[in-house]
Amino acid sequence: MSRYLASRIGQALIVLWAAFTASFILLQALPGDAILIKFLNPELGLGPEQIADIRASYGADIPLTAQYLHTILNFLSGNFGYSVQAGVPVSDVLAASLPPTLRLATLSLLVSAFLALAIAALSALLPLSWLRSFVQSLPSLFISTPVFWLGILLIQIFSFQLKLIPVINPGEWQALILPVLTLAIPISAPLAQVLMRNIDDVMTEPFVAVARAKGASRSWVLWRHVARNAVLPTLTIAGVLFGELLAGAVVTEAVFGLNGIGSLTQRAVGNQDIAVLQALVVFSAVAFVLINLVVDLLYPVFDPRLRITGAAA
Amino acid sequence: MSLNLRFRSKTGAAALAGAALLVGALGLGRAALAAGQNDAPVKGGTLVYLEQQPHTNLYPPAGGFYPNGGILNQITDKLTYQNPKTLEIEPWIAESWTVNADATEYTFKIRPGVTFSDGTPLDAAAVAKNYDTFGRGNKELKLPVSEVINNYDRSEVIDSRTVKFYFKKPSPGFLQGTSVIGSGLVSLATLALPYEALGDATKIIGSGPFVVASETLGRELNLTARKDYNWGPAKLAQQGRAYLDSIKYVITPEDSVRIGALLAGQADFIRQIQAYDEKQVEDEGYRIYAPSTRGVNNSVVFRPDNPLVADVRVRRALLHATNAEEIVSTLFSDNYPKASSIIAKTALGYVDQSSKLAYDLEKAKALFDEAGWKPGANGLRQKDGQQLELTAYESLPQPQNKETLQLIAQQWAKVGVKLNVLTGDSGTATVNNLDPSKAPVSPAMVGRADPDVIKSQYYPTNRNVLLQKGGNSDKVKSFVDDKLNALLDNLASEPDRAKRLAIAGDVQAYVIDQAYAIPIFEEPQAFAAAPYVNGVAFEAVGRPSFYGAWLAPH
Repeated sequence: MSRYLASRIGQALIVLWAAFTASFILLQALPGDAILIKFLNPELGLGPEQIADIRASYGADIPLTAQYLHTILNFLSGNFGYSVQAGVPVSDVLAASLPPTLRLATLSLLVSAFLALAIAALSALLPLSWLRSFVQSLPSLFISTPVFWLGILLIQIFSFQLKLIPVINPGEWQALILPVLTLAIPISAPLAQVLMRNIDDVMTEPFVAVARAKGASRSWVLWRHVARNAVLPTLTIAGVLFGELLAGAVVTEAVFGLNGIGSLTQRAVGNQDIAVLQALVVFSAVAFVLINLVVDLLYPVFDPRLRITGAAA
Repeated sequence: MSLNLRFRSKTGAAALAGAALLVGALGLGRAALAAGQNDAPVKGGTLVYLEQQPHTNLYPPAGGFYPNGGILNQITDKLTYQNPKTLEIEPWIAESWTVNADATEYTFKIRPGVTFSDGTPLDAAAVAKNYDTFGRGNKELKLPVSEVINNYDRSEVIDSRTVKFYFKKPSPGFLQGTSVIGSGLVSLATLALPYEALGDATKIIGSGPFVVASETLGRELNLTARKDYNWGPAKLAQQGRAYLDSIKYVITPEDSVRIGALLAGQADFIRQIQAYDEKQVEDEGYRIYAPSTRGVNNSVVFRPDNPLVADVRVRRALLHATNAEEIVSTLFSDNYPKASSIIAKTALGYVDQSSKLAYDLEKAKALFDEAGWKPGANGLRQKDGQQLELTAYESLPQPQNKETLQLIAQQWAKVGVKLNVLTGDSGTATVNNLDPSKAPVSPAMVGRADPDVIKSQYYPTNRNVLLQKGGNSDKVKSFVDDKLNALLDNLASEPDRAKRLAIAGDVQAYVIDQAYAIPIFEEPQAFAAAPYVNGVAFEAVGRPSFYGAWLAPH
């Protein structure tokens, strides 16, 4: 087990280093840079010598390899530099944006998982066939819903017309109700789809016929036998979706005015704020690596056949 | 039968009476609200202000960016106050001042008893340090120079209440420069911070009526009123603390959510309401404020270094092919008046140029033909094998800029000129906008209520919108207009006010004659407010000031 973990951590470090280097090269290759954008901004009205001075003081003209080593050493010591756009250290911006995104992502995933399970269960257990068809078509409907439309619609109905939830200055958990709903609905679609297909597949296995022959009801078979088997591929997809949610739900955050990783990324991209973008790439890489590790560790929990035993080796 | 009729008519009458009472009550209610607006200011309350974008760096000279200015205007004071109606300079932190004959020496007498919110005194030494930083910058801390301060040499503290500034060349625009957003006075501790750390609003210590209490980066900002504030602009009746207890800024990027929140009563005041949303707000009885930014109009400028637009006849033709009236009536509202010169009607030194700005398609076509640009097979004008195809990058801060440029492209297509409107992300757009060959046409606008604003816009070492040689672009091959630059130099250094305004008139006429710019409309900043919000003022360039704001009971 410890060998397994050690090799996984080693792989993770290589992935992180590769992501960092690739993004560094690509960001440097872009025309212009944050310093140029910020100081060439007409609002400041600076002259050419002043801008040249500023660029020199920011070290914009140091050779690339020196900048690379400088940056990677800073990253390792936890210094991510300053956001040229926001005028505060990058770690401050990340520290402010991470908690809202973590809350939003976790809750959205939980709600969407619940929705997906409900859809899958209903589609397997409902008596009437037209009802089952209707429920089976829900994932397609959910995935086609544009997030911004859904978000604005929910705000208009629940916040402005019915005045149930304030959108401006809400309580900490109140603020999450509408955004979580907005995100969970499209996210639940792929989860539900995969779950339904897998349940259908497992239902055709011989052991299910045996269980039914022994007198088990459909719901007993579903929950006791089929679910654990069907869940595995869904787990992988859930991991990928969670990673995407952590990378930031840009549209939802713009609509609801949340200061999460999504709006941070959007602003950083728009202003070519390289320090922030670099930190965000590394953060996303870390998030995906960790999630994949967790998913891989969870597989044997669900499926005993995957547990590594001495005899199998 | 008759009994029934009487009964029915009685219920009918009762219903009618009830309805009349209801309507009357509503009417009375509206009247009461309207009456309440003229009552004495109510102390206390929190104003919820919805801002479209988060603020960036709060170094005062960077206050031009609207979200920054909206905050800096409440937490800092300036040496002088520019009356928004008359544009005259009135005393504020400076009680009085003298200027020498050629505007190279300014002496200010500082009002006693003013302190920053951390308790340190705002005296002559503090003022001197502020202007040394704004005028010369600070290389170690990477603080850039302020755009409004030209030719600054040094300061001299004469005594604790008197400070003198020296300039290398005449600087008549300096007095107005002491009243702008970019000259907010901050504490010495703030000036000792490096530029890259000034994005933390809690670190900006000013002497203003409000103080930053807390901030959640990118989401909201809380200002609380300063209780010991006692130094409002000298000619205002209100001198003591602000009426409001606090202001809450909430960042709400989505237009429909901002407006919806205002109309649903979740917010009191919002910035940035597009022209097409104004009707919805006004229909509900909410107020739109659209103070003019009183500077250079929203216009489209040419980069004559690009050979396609180097010929003045081509530029004049395009000017006459642009229908500003159509743009304003299609895309905007009455709050965006059509331009009649390169600066706003309400700007200092404005001279009406509308006779030269007529929309005349025939004249445009004649000018093109005269310049040798004849329509080709595909309808586009051609000369020497080159097609008249131009490019412009949209400007994100200006309202509906992409739509404006697209409408202009449609108008120019009628005379056989193609305009490509590009959205680049900020990086590519910024770089390409400095290259006349890539961006021969560009949107431009700058707000400042002083004739120096024209120099700010056109002079090579300032914003240099025409991209002349000797400025911030190294892609310019040869274009330089010495006559324009000489006029601009004189404008910025003529100490006599009447002569200065006359030069401003000359510059406007010259720019229009050379068709360097096509002015379209006078740009306001559009705000919307709930009916119970009173006393919001706007400084000369349209930033809100909540010093005198108060909330009626609602």
